[in-house]
Amino acid sequence: MKNQPKARLATAWLDGCSGCHMSLLDVDELLLTLADRVTIVFGPLVDAQHFPENVDVAIVEGAVSSQDDLRLAQTIRENSKFVIALGDCAVTSNVPSMRNSIAPTRLLERIYISGATAQPGVPTQNVPALLRAAIPLHEAIKVDLHVPGCPPSAAAIAHVLTELLEGRKPDVASAAKFG
Amino acid sequence: MSHRISDLSSFNAAHAAGLRKLMPGVPRIAIGMGTCGMGNGAEAVYHAFADHIHNLGLGFHLTRTGCFGFCAEEPLVNVLLPGQPLVVLRRIQASDVPALLDHLAAGRIPAELALCKIEEWDHITATIKYAAGQPEIPHWYDVPFFTGQKKIVLRNCGIISPIEIEEYIAVGGYQALYKVLIDSSPEAVIEQLKAAKLRGRGGAGYQTGLKWEMLRKAQAERKFLISNADEGDPGAYMNRNEIEGDPHSMLEGMIIAGYVTGSTEGILYVRAEYPLAVHRLQHAMDQARDYGLLGKNILGRGFNFDISLVEGAGAFVCGEETALIRSLEGRAGRPTPRPPYPAEKGLWGYPTNINNVETWYNVAPIVVKGAAWFTETGSPKSPGTKVFSLVGKVQNTGLVEMPLGTPLKTFVYDIGGGATHGKAVKAVQTGGPSGGTIPQEMFDTPVDYETLAQLGSIMGSGGMVVMDEDNCMVDVARYFVEFTHSESCGKCTPCRAGLDQALRILNRFTHGVATDGDLDTLDELSRMIRDMSLCGLGQSAPNPVLTSMRHFRREFEDHVRAHRCRAGVCEDLALSPCENSCPLHMNIPRFLQLLKEDRLEEAFLSVVLDNPLPASTGRVCQHPCDNRCRRSAIDDAVNMREVHRFIADSIYGTPRYEPLIEQVLARKLPPTGCKIAIVGAGPAGLSCAYYCALLGHDVTVYENNAEAGGMLRYALPNYRLPIEVIEHELELIRRLGVSFIFNTTVGRDISLNELDAAHDAVFLSIGTWKESWVYLAGTELRGVLHALPFLEAVNKDETTQLGRKVAVIGGGNAAIDSARTALRLGADVTIVYRRERKDMPAIREETEAAEAEGARIVFLAAPHRIVDDGSGGIQAIECVKTTLGEFDRSGRRRPVPTDEILRIACDTVILAVGETVDLDFVKASGLRLKEGGTMLEVDRHTLLTSRPNFYAGGDLITGASNVSNAMGWGKKAARTIDQALMDEFRWPRIWPEFKHSMTVPAHPSTARRHHNRELDPAKRAATFAETTFPLAPVEAMEETCRCLRCDIRADH
Amino acid sequence: MPNRISIRIDGELVQAERGQTIFEAAQSNNKFIPGLCQFKGLSTVGACRLCVVEVQGVNRLLPSCTTPAQDGMAVITKSARLNDYRRQSLELLFAEKNHVCAVCVSNNHCELQAYAQRLGVTNVRYAYRYPKLHVDMSHPRFVIDHNRCVLCTRCVRVCNEVEGAYVWGVAGRGIGSRIACEMDRAWGNSASCTNCGKCVQVCPTGALAEKGFAAEEMVKRQDLVERLATIRGTMNPGGPR
Repeated sequence: MKNQPKARLATAWLDGCSGCHMSLLDVDELLLTLADRVTIVFGPLVDAQHFPENVDVAIVEGAVSSQDDLRLAQTIRENSKFVIALGDCAVTSNVPSMRNSIAPTRLLERIYISGATAQPGVPTQNVPALLRAAIPLHEAIKVDLHVPGCPPSAAAIAHVLTELLEGRKPDVASAAKFG
Repeated sequence: MSHRISDLSSFNAAHAAGLRKLMPGVPRIAIGMGTCGMGNGAEAVYHAFADHIHNLGLGFHLTRTGCFGFCAEEPLVNVLLPGQPLVVLRRIQASDVPALLDHLAAGRIPAELALCKIEEWDHITATIKYAAGQPEIPHWYDVPFFTGQKKIVLRNCGIISPIEIEEYIAVGGYQALYKVLIDSSPEAVIEQLKAAKLRGRGGAGYQTGLKWEMLRKAQAERKFLISNADEGDPGAYMNRNEIEGDPHSMLEGMIIAGYVTGSTEGILYVRAEYPLAVHRLQHAMDQARDYGLLGKNILGRGFNFDISLVEGAGAFVCGEETALIRSLEGRAGRPTPRPPYPAEKGLWGYPTNINNVETWYNVAPIVVKGAAWFTETGSPKSPGTKVFSLVGKVQNTGLVEMPLGTPLKTFVYDIGGGATHGKAVKAVQTGGPSGGTIPQEMFDTPVDYETLAQLGSIMGSGGMVVMDEDNCMVDVARYFVEFTHSESCGKCTPCRAGLDQALRILNRFTHGVATDGDLDTLDELSRMIRDMSLCGLGQSAPNPVLTSMRHFRREFEDHVRAHRCRAGVCEDLALSPCENSCPLHMNIPRFLQLLKEDRLEEAFLSVVLDNPLPASTGRVCQHPCDNRCRRSAIDDAVNMREVHRFIADSIYGTPRYEPLIEQVLARKLPPTGCKIAIVGAGPAGLSCAYYCALLGHDVTVYENNAEAGGMLRYALPNYRLPIEVIEHELELIRRLGVSFIFNTTVGRDISLNELDAAHDAVFLSIGTWKESWVYLAGTELRGVLHALPFLEAVNKDETTQLGRKVAVIGGGNAAIDSARTALRLGADVTIVYRRERKDMPAIREETEAAEAEGARIVFLAAPHRIVDDGSGGIQAIECVKTTLGEFDRSGRRRPVPTDEILRIACDTVILAVGETVDLDFVKASGLRLKEGGTMLEVDRHTLLTSRPNFYAGGDLITGASNVSNAMGWGKKAARTIDQALMDEFRWPRIWPEFKHSMTVPAHPSTARRHHNRELDPAKRAATFAETTFPLAPVEAMEETCRCLRCDIRADH
Repeated sequence: MPNRISIRIDGELVQAERGQTIFEAAQSNNKFIPGLCQFKGLSTVGACRLCVVEVQGVNRLLPSCTTPAQDGMAVITKSARLNDYRRQSLELLFAEKNHVCAVCVSNNHCELQAYAQRLGVTNVRYAYRYPKLHVDMSHPRFVIDHNRCVLCTRCVRVCNEVEGAYVWGVAGRGIGSRIACEMDRAWGNSASCTNCGKCVQVCPTGALAEKGFAAEEMVKRQDLVERLATIRGTMNPGGPR
């Protein structure tokens, strides 16, 4: 085991609250095992600026809400062997989807103009354009495993990661909760 | 005065009164006034007759009938002159009436207006004999539309007046009721129905006798009978016409059922969209009450039964019996689970029996004629007949009543007369939105409950929609799901939410954004909806999807993988109908618009980047675009082929040529370093080479002849395609850097392995140069020639063994080319073809040109033997005359030999009966062949053969075809080869951006289509020089102004 | 006729009472069959289709909530096909409306969610529809949130059959179906609502809820209504529909 090359793990934070990343950090002593077995090559937990090539497992939190989300999701798919949608936002688009029945322009106007308390105006600089709807990850790219939950429990995440490291298919349905 | 019938003598009196109306002793004119006839103007016809008869003081008896069934010939008018047969006139308009009345007043019937005559009519419950006569008018049963029909349900429709109860009594009506009441043995009637195995005609096919028995046995203070006239499927209207034409037959069936089952209340549930049917029924019920046939003490036998009518609001789901009952109760039309069945707990909780309209029509005939008579018709499990509404892409549309078990092909071809406009029938949809599509290969299927169910379809209420090549089966499935989706009541999840998702997925297909995964999701979702839904609507709603996916999976795959809709229905997948039909997918509206804007150079660039051989195809293409052009709905198609010939001819050989060629060369992508071998320098190989070179690859073409061009050079006669034209086009390909290696046969001079080793990809595109083997005695004789070698020899100026009197066998382009070439060599030419003119595969204009130049064509003759002149030469050819038999797989009638022999004196016979690919080298190479072994197997979307890096296209994979199709394959191969080699979709980079108007012309030119000019036939036949000339500039310009710009969408 | 019958459920021979539906027979023998529209004491409608089972000798699936158990019947309640179909049904429901569990008052106390968990749903294969739906807050004590409605019609039936107030009905049809108060009034303007709250307690999801609860806080008291419905004697399989 010691001589095995470390697996390349990436995480990504799309439209979500980062709660799933918190839950990921909540796996306690499994973090030590992970440190031995995997290298985290991308994500909010590390410094990398660009999504690298040849990723073994990519864990994605959040719904696909903006052009940037969509591009990153596509980049992840192109460069990763196994993609996990982690948490309800990535699995069902969850809370981000609550804006979906409102057209983005109306939404932005309501928030940034009629709802503004100071400096009304829709920001256009350095912010990505919103997609028409926030969609679950699998509607944007092919997803290999769905781990639902808001957030998924640390135990569920631990189960998934342990099983994958052992080369087995995790039994998500019994470990995680839908919705 | 009371009409009440209470005994036999009053019954007979009504009968006699009816006969006097039916055969009045003065001319009787009856207008077919069902909704269909009225839609075609029958009402105006009726009033014209009424006015003129009144004004002229003619004592004619004018009345109305229901529909006789032949919708395509409406309005129909029945005319009965005393002492003559009943004659049915067709397509009568109000303006025809005065002249017609003059004839009738003089005792004449204009035969040219007649559809058919009836000398004797079997009303089943009685037979009416008219006089014989009018020999020039066909008997009704000799009109193909009626041949084979058996009118049991429609026994009175279109003959008697639906508003005259006495006429109904005159043809045996209410006799069955009378008999049942006199016999007073309800059990016997039920036994009779059971023995007749009468099955419900609403679609499910449950035995009527069993249902009645259940109701009879049910103990309750009230029992209900319901007639389900909530006919709501798109394309189905048999119930409407049955009621409009003969309402009393249904009432009689219900009254009999009332007596037999012990019910006293009947309800007619008729959809409100059928106002005429409602009106006729109300009138009929009033009359029946008046005559003591409905209400209290029926026929004086102490039996009470009355019927009320309820108009349904038009929800499709209310055709489902439990939903119908809820609707009658004043609740929302939503089905409830069974059990309990209506026979136990139906309307208001009382036992209830529901039958479809048509089921009731079979009751009286069975009572009168007996079960054994009924089971003589139809199939053992499904006796009797069924009325179908035959609609869609057939020549004869209308209501047809056929014995159950009749094969589908009889409906489509014999009754329906086959497809319209020479198109090919693709499928029949039976059972409307709840049914399925049955492909043409399965037209031997007998139409009965079980067989249709096995194929995943249903009989339903009898809708039969014929589809041809212009129907996209994905869109058809989408259409029906859209219908059921909007008609779902919303009660159960699978139907409510499932159909909504199914429709979303189908929309993705028709919009070209579906994925392979959608195919699987749609399949599993459809099965789930079918198996899980609460009522028949949901359970059957996926049938159109499941059957289309089973029988037409390729069309679904094409929508996903090739983004193509062959039928050209799904607009998001095509630029315009012409582009979609073009094998090269040329952007036709673009070059038309550029030329219209007087930008000839750019138009040429557009054309030549879409089609490397524009001057050649501009002369010889089969122009499928013509059949698709929407302009033809106004007058004729835009002459697109001639416009692009005009564009090419205006550039080639002029000073404009060189700068334009430079522009084409400038489009070439940077060198990729990839080496591509192309085998065969015919149209497919040349196209592939051209595009591969444009994409920056290093291309070598291997050709076994001494020059490039393939069939273009060697098989097409010079008068159609001069060599100079080919040379012009080859120059461009050469200058793109394509190298040619001539006189080299792959498989002999160089092996596939050697090609493989030296190249990154190989495209195989050899044509069909080998003659098909013919089964004909005498082919060894001197003077027997094969078309292609003959044409090749003439093109190469070699001598041929052509004599003075030539017979050409075949009907394709090679036959016509041979005939016209032989004419030019001074021969006397006869073409022998075994089918009809309309079945000829040759381009129509070419056939006409050959005839104008003096060729004779003998149709319906199959060569039998070539007769020896005693010295090894030919004396004559003997042909067997054929007649047209059944329709074959190609949708054409199969020629059937007769005993008649035709002898045509000749000294030369040219065989042009088809060519095949020489597959010897392929067989030796181990590449996989298609089933049948005459063609190479490739992936339809990538054109990859069974060997990596080897692609194939053209005749090799399709069999003998034509120049444009071959070029289409070559172009497609270049695209897929490039994508495979470069792992990137670089294809669009070839084209520059063309800027031109994207506005729909407000006033498209009203000019008629311009045809190109030709030398007159006599001069033509004397020369091999080109005899058709390009359009004049003003004509070409006018053609571009005729284009309607279908490529522009409102949402763009 | 004896009142007890024997049926076989998933191969096991069990006893049931004559007149019981397959669903009831399974429940009384602790055999699990999912069901969203079925509610003890109320009439059955067979609408959600989750409770379909295979019955030997019948070539189509039968809803166990409306099919009477018959002596000697052999019933299969779980199979790969049933599981797949039921899962598809649940996914269709999730995709149909906006069930955002994370912010739902009934999160973790929801029958739809529980079945999804039990039947192994980890994601929805269909496209979410994201319809724009109304939340009616006009009633002083209760809320109806159409975003979370599965159209089981338990509320309609409990109001008609137990309370006798006939407040609820179904308006629209097909995918546009929705629960409506009287002739499509705001609930707060209802003339017949008795404010009894039975509809809220029988609702399997967070579509009907009491006001004043935050996410995850609404726990329904179905047992009370069940008892009441049964006492009122409306437990009548062939009863009003």
